[in-house]
Amino acid sequence: MHAQEKLTFLLSLVPFLIERERVSVDEVAEHFAVDPEQIRDAVRLIAVSGVPGETNTYQYEDLFDIAWDDFEDNDQIVLTNHVALDDSPRFSAREAAALIAGLQYLSSLPENADRAAVASLMTKLSRGASANPSPLAVEPTESDVTLGLIRESVAAGTQLEFDYLGARGTRERRRVDPLRVESMDADWYLRGWDHLRGAVRTFRLDRISDPRVSDTPISHHAADVTLPDTLFESSSDDLVVTVDVANSAAALLADYIPDGAVRVQLEGRVRTTVRVSHYHGLKRLIGSMPGVATVVEPAEARRVVAEWAAAGAARYEGDAS
Amino acid sequence: MSLENSAKVPVEERLFSLVLALLATENGLTKTEILSTVQGYRQDFAHTGDNANLERKFERDKDDIRELGVPLETVQSPGDPGNNQNLRYRIPRGDYELPTDIAFSPEETTLLNLAAMVWREGSLSAESRRALLKLRSLGVSADEPVLGYAPRLRVRDVAFDPLNAALGRGAYVRFSYLKPGEAEARVRTVAPLALVQHQGRWHLSAEEEGSGIRKTFLLRRIVSRIATTGKTFPAPAADESARALRELEEVWNAHTAVVEVEPGSDAETRLRKRRGTVVDGGTLRLHYSDINIFADELAGFGPEVLVGSPPELRAAVRERLIRTAVDHAQA
Repeated sequence: MHAQEKLTFLLSLVPFLIERERVSVDEVAEHFAVDPEQIRDAVRLIAVSGVPGETNTYQYEDLFDIAWDDFEDNDQIVLTNHVALDDSPRFSAREAAALIAGLQYLSSLPENADRAAVASLMTKLSRGASANPSPLAVEPTESDVTLGLIRESVAAGTQLEFDYLGARGTRERRRVDPLRVESMDADWYLRGWDHLRGAVRTFRLDRISDPRVSDTPISHHAADVTLPDTLFESSSDDLVVTVDVANSAAALLADYIPDGAVRVQLEGRVRTTVRVSHYHGLKRLIGSMPGVATVVEPAEARRVVAEWAAAGAARYEGDAS
Repeated sequence: MSLENSAKVPVEERLFSLVLALLATENGLTKTEILSTVQGYRQDFAHTGDNANLERKFERDKDDIRELGVPLETVQSPGDPGNNQNLRYRIPRGDYELPTDIAFSPEETTLLNLAAMVWREGSLSAESRRALLKLRSLGVSADEPVLGYAPRLRVRDVAFDPLNAALGRGAYVRFSYLKPGEAEARVRTVAPLALVQHQGRWHLSAEEEGSGIRKTFLLRRIVSRIATTGKTFPAPAADESARALRELEEVWNAHTAVVEVEPGSDAETRLRKRRGTVVDGGTLRLHYSDINIFADELAGFGPEVLVGSPPELRAAVRERLIRTAVDHAQA
């Protein structure tokens, strides 16, 4: 934690301890989602802190104090003296803005169906900030009926069935134990145990059609499956492709460039490698970056992209240049 | 007291001690009083002599504390208004503390946890972590969510952080902006008013210096670093972010395109799900806000899409497909 976050933590911890009167280190650690040792360090710091006081020399009554025996023997925290701080601090303008924008982004989730409740929550956040929240806004997420059905199937403990248009262009009916809904900006995904493949798979919500909640109970519960933090994982089967991308557009390919990939700076562009599971996805990716991204090698990758673009252009044959 | 070195006092202890001292004082403390008595400063205070380093540290600390939303104020000494040394500092408790009538239910706490989670990576992750700590301070346990979510709002644009900072300060900024079709980037000087994400892309709503015309810039088209000028502008009266989103929506609603899509294709499945799409057999009526970005997206679908109208879009997509085919032709 950086110093500002540590300070925020101290200012947040004290009012909590005052309110709880006697609470175990473990419970505090779980509540604040930090390591128990960080809690103990913070309590030790608080216990020797205070105000200069009338004498300007931090006399005993000017300092915080805890029940040391209870702390050392039982790992319990009891504040026996507190100074200066009583209540929780306000949010800063940017902290409130981050929460408000986050709520806007999530507004189409089934949990947020009560518009009035969300609006009142945003108002509370504004009132709880020390200044007007920063002018930050996020377009509300597209409502997708699939999200509601996913939630229904999770609540019922049953599988979700749907048609999925895989990246290879084939449509198959899938049966999935839903594990987690994820998103990356405007793109939403379902992560679940795919019974067709017998493994965890990630599905784009906008490639799902005809979703239905089934009667079949799930066999893989979210609590039992460890899902990686990253949305996409590379596999040893991935194809490695060398591309040239304009410096100004390199950020658009960032998700496909593996960690540690070599980047060679050329004139106005960078040559690097991307990993893709197959060329069907590559052709769409490169096709959407005309003039700013080019495949260098292998030759087959170039050919796939060329054919894709040429087939597309052929549909406009006859249009004047 | 022994003459300890203040370097042995951790930063957070020094900052914590300063906040406590400033909360506890009724009339405020002068800089000299603070530096000579507060834990973390007093260890380094030279009673006779130069405290320049310590004073600089104090200035930085004040900035760091204010950034957290702590209302650290300066009070002029009533008898001696011009005198800098007699400035008094304090943190008014009423402005520091969360109003007592603000409480969050378990359901609201669950929602707020999710809202903070979206900023996990990159910009605003520090702010959202701090917001979560302050929320936890209130002691409410969140409901266990029915469904696990891992939502992410990303900011890939390096311009975001400096623009957000300039927004907070009300400072004019200068940057180079490259519009498609223009050979060279042009320098713009603007008053930043809001940052909004629309269709997954970050935009800056700003007022041009001089002309006062409001413009919307795509952050990804900013091709230089953001230079923050010293010139400031008064805070806008209304919520600029809501206005900016509305304006982007108006542009979105105003532009429509008609495209044919191959049945059962990726293009059909995904474009049908695009917001506001009207389906008419194998033809889709779609909305878009920026013709260049939309043409890039449509070109990606290759032969699965055939643009019917508007003609500028049709020409733009065709041109892109030809370009890609040529760039990838056999050597």
